[in-house]
Amino acid sequence: MLPTILKNLFTGYATRLYPVQVREPFDKARGHVVFHDDKCIMCGACALRCPSVAITVEKKQNKLTFYPLRCIVCEVCVHVCPSDAIELIYKWRPSYYEKPEEVHKSTRVDLLRESVEEVKKEETEKSG
Amino acid sequence: MERLWPVELPPRTKYLRTIWAEMARTHSHLLWLGLLADAFGFESMFLQFWRIRERVLDLIEMTCGHRVIPSVNVVGGVRRDISTEQKKVLVDALPVIRKESENLIKVVTNDYTVKSRTVGVGVVTKEQAIALGCVGPVLRASGVREDARLTKYHAYGDLNFEPIVQPAGDCYSRALVRARELLQSIDLQLEALDKLPEGEIAVKTKGNPPANEAVMRTEAPRGELFYYAKGNGTRNLERMKIRTPTYANLPSLLVMLPGCQLADVPVIVLSIDPCICCMER
Repeated sequence: MLPTILKNLFTGYATRLYPVQVREPFDKARGHVVFHDDKCIMCGACALRCPSVAITVEKKQNKLTFYPLRCIVCEVCVHVCPSDAIELIYKWRPSYYEKPEEVHKSTRVDLLRESVEEVKKEETEKSG
Repeated sequence: MERLWPVELPPRTKYLRTIWAEMARTHSHLLWLGLLADAFGFESMFLQFWRIRERVLDLIEMTCGHRVIPSVNVVGGVRRDISTEQKKVLVDALPVIRKESENLIKVVTNDYTVKSRTVGVGVVTKEQAIALGCVGPVLRASGVREDARLTKYHAYGDLNFEPIVQPAGDCYSRALVRARELLQSIDLQLEALDKLPEGEIAVKTKGNPPANEAVMRTEAPRGELFYYAKGNGTRNLERMKIRTPTYANLPSLLVMLPGCQLADVPVIVLSIDPCICCMER
């Protein structure tokens, strides 16, 4: 033990002076999950596969609710999403003061529905 | 789970899983040795062990994504690979960790205070250990040469592995078994990294799990972990049973605790390496 004690007395600190010195997270480290509204097609695959029920999808109202505190960052939704709308960010997410709830609306589905309605209107005008 | 189909794993997957299993064993035994020191009040040794453990956790985070829970296994293979730069970092960092833990392990084995608190305390004889169904280091410290890694699952058949056995059944021999297993697991990791074959890392499995049963025994850091899975052809499994090693080691406390001093109780309970949350499954 004596060599270890002498070495520790005369060498520097073993810890980092956080928050002045921050260690950058490693590449591909599991930080938190981010949803992209412009790519989501509201298929519901992420909600089906999430093991901790952190995502709920309501297709008719075009609403996706994500509870960040239930997420265990297992990356299953990232791998399963067919349109690559979920991305894994490698920085750790900050802490919250109250229980958060993220509500997302898919802009891609909105645009699709608008164009479908326009096509229907044109057809009723033509036939009527 | 791959035995349900059954599907043959590619060799690189077997080696990668072995490396990650041994990394988990390294950090778990370092944690345990620190907690053993904490049980006597030897706090400086406790924090010295955990300082080394931080480096191992950094290595696990670099390869798997997160510190304690790797979340890297999929049915049919693994999700992540160890690239050549990561392999170089591992091969450089592991011998340094080995040297530092060796210095500290000399303290555990030779220090007078540690010996006087652990030698002769909580004795389990060989016959008692076999009769009570102990697993893992508790069994090996009582003189029984039994290890689930001897069944040569994953890559253990190619690696140079011999279980560590001690004859006396007290807390001191359990500490010795775990300390030497720590050094052995660092050696096994270096050997596996050396022999890592090229190839793919996952195999696709088709369809639902067939109506089949599968049983698997692996060696977790705390002992032998037992998995039983039964499929029935649909998407959901019919039965899944996991028997954790702490649950199997608990009855040995019946033999160890009666007649000891009150101050020995934390040392004895710690020496079976309890993980209460896994036990309650």
